[in-house]
Amino acid sequence: MMLFLIELWESVRDFMNTGGVVLNWLALVLFIMWVLMIERYMYVTSAFPKLVKDIVANWDAREDTTSWYAHRIREAWISQANEKLNARMQLIKTLVAVCPLMGLLGTVTGMVHVFEIMANTGTGNPRLMASGISMATIPTMAGMVAALSGVFFSSRLEAKVKVASHRLVDSMPHH
Amino acid sequence: MKTVLKSVVLAAGLFVAAQPVMAAAPQAKTLEQLLQQVQKDRLSEGKINKQREQEFLSERADKQALLSQAKRELVAEQARGKKLEAQFGENEKQLAELEEKLTLAVGNMGEMFGVVRQVAGDAQSRFQTSIISAQFPGRDKLMGELAQSKELPELPQLEDLWFALQKEMTASGEIVKFPANVITGTGDREQREVTRVGTFNLMDADQYLVFNGETETVGELSRQPESYMTATVDSYADNASGYSALYVDPSRGTILTLMTQKVTLDERYKQGGTVGYVITAVLGLGLLIVVERLIVLGGMSAAIRKQLKSDTPSDKNPLGRILKVYENNRNVDVETLELKLDEAILKETPRIERGVSVIKVLAAVAPLLGLLGTVTGMIDTFQSITLFGTGDPKIMAGGISTALVTTVLGLVAALPLIFLHSIVYSRSQSLVHLIEEQATGIIAEHAEKESK
Repeated sequence: MMLFLIELWESVRDFMNTGGVVLNWLALVLFIMWVLMIERYMYVTSAFPKLVKDIVANWDAREDTTSWYAHRIREAWISQANEKLNARMQLIKTLVAVCPLMGLLGTVTGMVHVFEIMANTGTGNPRLMASGISMATIPTMAGMVAALSGVFFSSRLEAKVKVASHRLVDSMPHH
Repeated sequence: MKTVLKSVVLAAGLFVAAQPVMAAAPQAKTLEQLLQQVQKDRLSEGKINKQREQEFLSERADKQALLSQAKRELVAEQARGKKLEAQFGENEKQLAELEEKLTLAVGNMGEMFGVVRQVAGDAQSRFQTSIISAQFPGRDKLMGELAQSKELPELPQLEDLWFALQKEMTASGEIVKFPANVITGTGDREQREVTRVGTFNLMDADQYLVFNGETETVGELSRQPESYMTATVDSYADNASGYSALYVDPSRGTILTLMTQKVTLDERYKQGGTVGYVITAVLGLGLLIVVERLIVLGGMSAAIRKQLKSDTPSDKNPLGRILKVYENNRNVDVETLELKLDEAILKETPRIERGVSVIKVLAAVAPLLGLLGTVTGMIDTFQSITLFGTGDPKIMAGGISTALVTTVLGLVAALPLIFLHSIVYSRSQSLVHLIEEQATGIIAEHAEKESK
């Protein structure tokens, strides 16, 4: 088991080394993205229903639910709840969008590396250029994979948030 | 000899004969006179001829004596030549005998001297590039003399060779400090304490040095390797006891000199050219706006939070100003109040959202500028191709890397701007929501509390 983990770590480290510096940044972005997404998911599934229950209980406890004042208060509560529900969703979306851009950045820095080698040693040795090319292609691929993983789950999360928000609105009757 | 004499005589005779004719021609008036004159001339001429003959004869006797003397000398010299030839043969024979004796005496030693020459030649080239020569200069010359000499090496020379090799071996395992003349980056010479690590590296207190074998000088590098490597030199020099880590150049200086050719971040940035500077300006502008927005929005949300806790509306924050509208119109009907509140809210939102879209525009512009740089760089490349052809990939590679650098710069500028835009945008959005959707609710809560 230990040996397997060490081997895994080795292969990850090799991958990171061949990918260059950009891959580290990409890993950081991916990490933050997933931490935020998991946090949002946990919030929507566990903490938010409790909040909804409190708000609905408060609403039901009110005597007046039909006047202009009551409507405005209801709107304010919904807005506050939505605020909490949508916190950091914008950041998650941005992080997803940034992933392929970082992959592109890796591509370009890798190509710069290749051309630098060409400028220093000429085109005689393709082996020297290979490191630059892997530095260019690996971040591109990693950026794509990161973005794809993020796109699917973030859109699921968004749908979940929307549903939760609608449910809150529906559970506060007013006439 | 005879022909020469004859021609001389003939010439003289002609000369003598012609002279009187030319001289006498005008004097002879008649044929009689001419006859007499010719007769007279012939008499005197005969006399002169006789005299000349006498002279020639005496001279010939002299020459005869000289000739016989020369002949005698020739015979003597020939005899001497024969004698010397005999001696030469004798010497040659003796030489061959001695040579034979020598080869016999040298025996196996001849092979050994060949080896000595070869080893000395190898050692010369090794010592020339070895940094140990910085500490003990001039060793390679001694080896060179030994390798070049045609004579057999003597015992002290052999001992010198052995000693030099042993010294190189011992010194390659040592870490020593010694004073040396260091050529600084500005070209001055400076006496410095230099540390030598085996045959690998030369360093002074805080940097690597290189040894030039041809001029036998220690010089500073035109550019030091990256700081985390030179930092180990620093800590190594400060270390008094125990072990300390050090970056060592296993290629004995080659990698260090190659490293000076590496492009630094600064140089690479400058490759971007004008477009690169424009992108930097865009990034700077974007960051300035972000900082300004963060400060303003932070202050605003702090003021609003304070407002939420207090009962008296203040003029210094958006929520306070909206609450004030309610305070001033406490007694109007709900419809009018709503209109007035909407008007107040509409006035506040642009102040919150100001600048946010500019950040987004700048974030979008940066990679486009990078693309522009790429295209101009490619134009440069193709221009150089039309001028110089595709023969030298180095010329093209320079232009292409210029093009790519701007792309990198564009992306590097865009990424943080996109990030910061999303942060600023969500902050401003939460404030806008608070004003638009919650302000009236807060007012309603106030009103309910008061009516109770």
